[in-house]
Amino acid sequence: MKQMPKEYYDLLHQLQAIDFVLIDLTLYLDTHPHDYEAIQQFNELAQERKKLKKQYETQFGPLQQYGNSYSHYPWDWSKTPWPWQV
Amino acid sequence: MFTTRKTYQPYRSPFDPCPPLTPKTYVTAPNLYIGFQPPRLPQYAPYEALRKGTTWKIFYDPYCGPYEQMKRNERT
Repeated sequence: MKQMPKEYYDLLHQLQAIDFVLIDLTLYLDTHPHDYEAIQQFNELAQERKKLKKQYETQFGPLQQYGNSYSHYPWDWSKTPWPWQV
Repeated sequence: MFTTRKTYQPYRSPFDPCPPLTPKTYVTAPNLYIGFQPPRLPQYAPYEALRKGTTWKIFYDPYCGPYEQMKRNERT
């Protein structure tokens, strides 16, 4: 099976970093609903994450299932690498 | 200077084969001292936050041992 290109890992690393900060901000905003800067940062990061996801999916296939991601032709979400094979 | 590393003196029994290394230290978590988190705290960049395990600098605590602490006091 061919090795995934370097950009595959870079994109995943970026997604992982942004997801981490988004999770932290979500937990923070649960207890600080009126913190405007944090909400602004959250929305900026969410927007950036959407862009990253789109960039990833056009090249490497769907990230999530059940309509959360578009699909390539043919239906290839089960192709490797799986998360533990990454 | 404030530090999250606290010390205590263990009881030294006359039957101790060798004296304990005093003072014994233990590390307490930074969030104990913060209470309700104030807004606009300094943050790490996403990559560094992922590596350090926290977005806000104030909560970073690598939980070093007392001797390990001297070696890697890059604690920001």
